[in-house]
Amino acid sequence: MQIIVNALASAAILAPAAVAFTLIFTLFGYANFAAGAFVTIGAFAAWTANVVMGLPLVVAGMVAVLVTAAAMVACDALVFRPLRGRSGATLLLVSVALSFVLENIIRFGFGSQIKGFDLPLTGPLSIGSVRITREALAVVVTAAVAIAAVGAVLAFSPIGRALRAVSDNPALARVRGLPVERVLGFGTLVAGALFGLSGTLVGVDLAIDPALTWTVTVPVIAAAIVGGLGSPAGATLGALVIGFAEELTVLVLSPPYKAAVGFVAIAAVLLLRPQGLLGVVVNRK
Amino acid sequence: MDAYLVSILTVTGIYAVLTLALNLQYGFTGLINFGVVGFYGLGAYASGIGTETFGLPFTAGLAVAVAIGALAGAVVALLSLRLSGDFLAIVTLGFAETVRLVLTNEDWLTRGPRGFSISTRPLPEGLGRDASTLSYLGLVLLLLAIVFVLLERLARAPYGRVLRAIREDDLVPATLGKNVFGYRLQAFVLGSAIMAAAGSLYAHYVQTITPDNFTTPVAILVWMSLIVGGAGNNRGVVLGAAVVIAIYEGSRFIAPFLPWLDAEQVSALRFIVIGVALILTVRFRPDGLLPELPHHAAPAEAAAPASRFQLDQHEGIGL
Repeated sequence: MQIIVNALASAAILAPAAVAFTLIFTLFGYANFAAGAFVTIGAFAAWTANVVMGLPLVVAGMVAVLVTAAAMVACDALVFRPLRGRSGATLLLVSVALSFVLENIIRFGFGSQIKGFDLPLTGPLSIGSVRITREALAVVVTAAVAIAAVGAVLAFSPIGRALRAVSDNPALARVRGLPVERVLGFGTLVAGALFGLSGTLVGVDLAIDPALTWTVTVPVIAAAIVGGLGSPAGATLGALVIGFAEELTVLVLSPPYKAAVGFVAIAAVLLLRPQGLLGVVVNRK
Repeated sequence: MDAYLVSILTVTGIYAVLTLALNLQYGFTGLINFGVVGFYGLGAYASGIGTETFGLPFTAGLAVAVAIGALAGAVVALLSLRLSGDFLAIVTLGFAETVRLVLTNEDWLTRGPRGFSISTRPLPEGLGRDASTLSYLGLVLLLLAIVFVLLERLARAPYGRVLRAIREDDLVPATLGKNVFGYRLQAFVLGSAIMAAAGSLYAHYVQTITPDNFTTPVAILVWMSLIVGGAGNNRGVVLGAAVVIAIYEGSRFIAPFLPWLDAEQVSALRFIVIGVALILTVRFRPDGLLPELPHHAAPAEAAAPASRFQLDQHEGIGL
C-alpha cells in the first residue's frame, strides 16, 4: 500500500511534463530534450516566489506556471521558429544545446546549492498503516486536475480541435485557413505551463538544484514514450508505469538507481510493444 | 614547447578521436548518440580498474576498455536500433546517466566521487617531465592517426557509401538487399569502441578520474566539434575539435576581466557561450566549416523530405 502511495506521488510529478512533451512532439514533430530544463525553470521560479518573496506555495506555483510558459514561448521564438522545417534530428540536437544553455543560466543566477521550499512541517495523515504526507496528497490532486483540464480542452474546445488538426497535418490545416502559427503558439504556452507545474511539484517532493535538468529529462521522456506519444491519457499512464517501476526498484537496489529505471523501462516497452502502451505506431522517419 | 600548450594539444587529440567516432555514428550513419560520455567514461574506468585493481599492463587495459565499449555499444544498439532516431537519442542519454550513477555509487569498484587514481603509465619510466608529456601527446596523436585513417578508408570504400545511403533513406539500401540493421549495428559498435579507447588514453593521462569528468559538458563539446567541423567530413570534424577546444580553453582567460563573478558563474558563462554558439552554428552554417565532400551524398538537410509545414505536391487535398 505504501508503495502505491509513493508511486502515485512520483507519477504525479512526471505526468504534467510528460503530457507537455507529448504535446510538443505531436505538434512540432520533434523530441524536445529541453523538457527537464523547463521543469527546472519552473522549480526555481516557484522557489524564488516562495522563499525569496515569501509568497504562499499555491501562489508560487502559479508564478512558476506563468514564468515557465513565458520562457517556453521565448525559446520557441528565438530558437525553434527560425528552424521550422528542419529535420527532427536537427531540432533534437538544438533542444539538447538549449537545455545546456538554460541549465547554465540557472547555475549562473542561483549557484549550485541545493534548495528547498519553505513548507510548514505537518504530520502525515494516516489511513490504517499507510502514511500520506499532506504535500504528496496535494501533488497528486493538483496534477490530476491539471491534466484533466488539458485533456478536456484538447477533446472538446475549438482551440483543442485546432491543435489536433495541426498535429495531424499542418499543411492541410494551413490550407483550410487555420492560423497555424497561432495554434502552435498556444500549444507552446500550454506545454510551458505544464512544465512549470511539474517544476513546482518536483520542488515539493525533492530538493531543487540545477542538475535536475538532466535527471528529470530521462524519466519524463521515458513516460511519454512508454505511453505511446499519442495523447494526454497515454502520457499519464506512462508516468504511472515509470512511477511504479521506480518505487519497486527501490525495494531491490539502492535509491540512487531510481533514475536509471526510465532507461530500462523504455528499452523493455520498446522491445515488447514498439508503439507504446496506448499509442499509434510512432516509427516515423 | 610550453607545457600548457602540450596539455591542450593532448586534450584536443582526445576530443578529436571522440568526434571522429561520433562522426561515424551520426555523420555517416545518422545515428544520434547522446551517450558519448557513457562510452568514454566506461572506457576510462575499465582501463583504470584493469591496470590498478587487476595489475594488467597498459596495453591490456586499453584492450579491455575497447572490448567493454564495444559490448556496451552492442547492447544499447540492440535495444534501440530497430526504432527511429528519437528513441536511440533517449536510450543513449539514459545509458550515459546510468553509467554515471554506477560510477558514483559503486564505491567498492570505482571509489565513487572521491576519484580513482591510476599510476600505470603507458610510457617507459625515467623520461624527464617534458619528454614524458611530449611522448604522451605523441601517443594520443598516434591513436588519432590510426582512427582517422581507418574511418577515412571506410568512408571512401563502398561500405561508407552504404552507411550514407542508410542515413539518407534506409528503404533504398534495404531494397537493394543490404542488411541495414547489421550495418547500423557495426557502425554504432565501432564508434562506441573508439570512444572507450579515447577514455582509456584520457584516464592514463590525467591519472585521477572522477564521475564528474564524464558529464554533459563533454558531450556538448564533442557534438559542437562535429557540427562546427561539418558532419560527414572526417577532416572537418578534426578541425572542428581543434577550433572548439581552442575557443573553450581560450574562454578561461575572460575571468580576470569579470572580477565581480565567482568561479562558478564564470564556468556557467563559458558553457552558455558554447551552447549558444552551437545553436547559432546549426542555424547559420548547418554544414559546418568543411561540408561533406561532393563525391559523397548531399548533406542530410538538403536531401530531407519536405517539411511537415509545407504542402506536399503529391498529397491530394480533400477539399
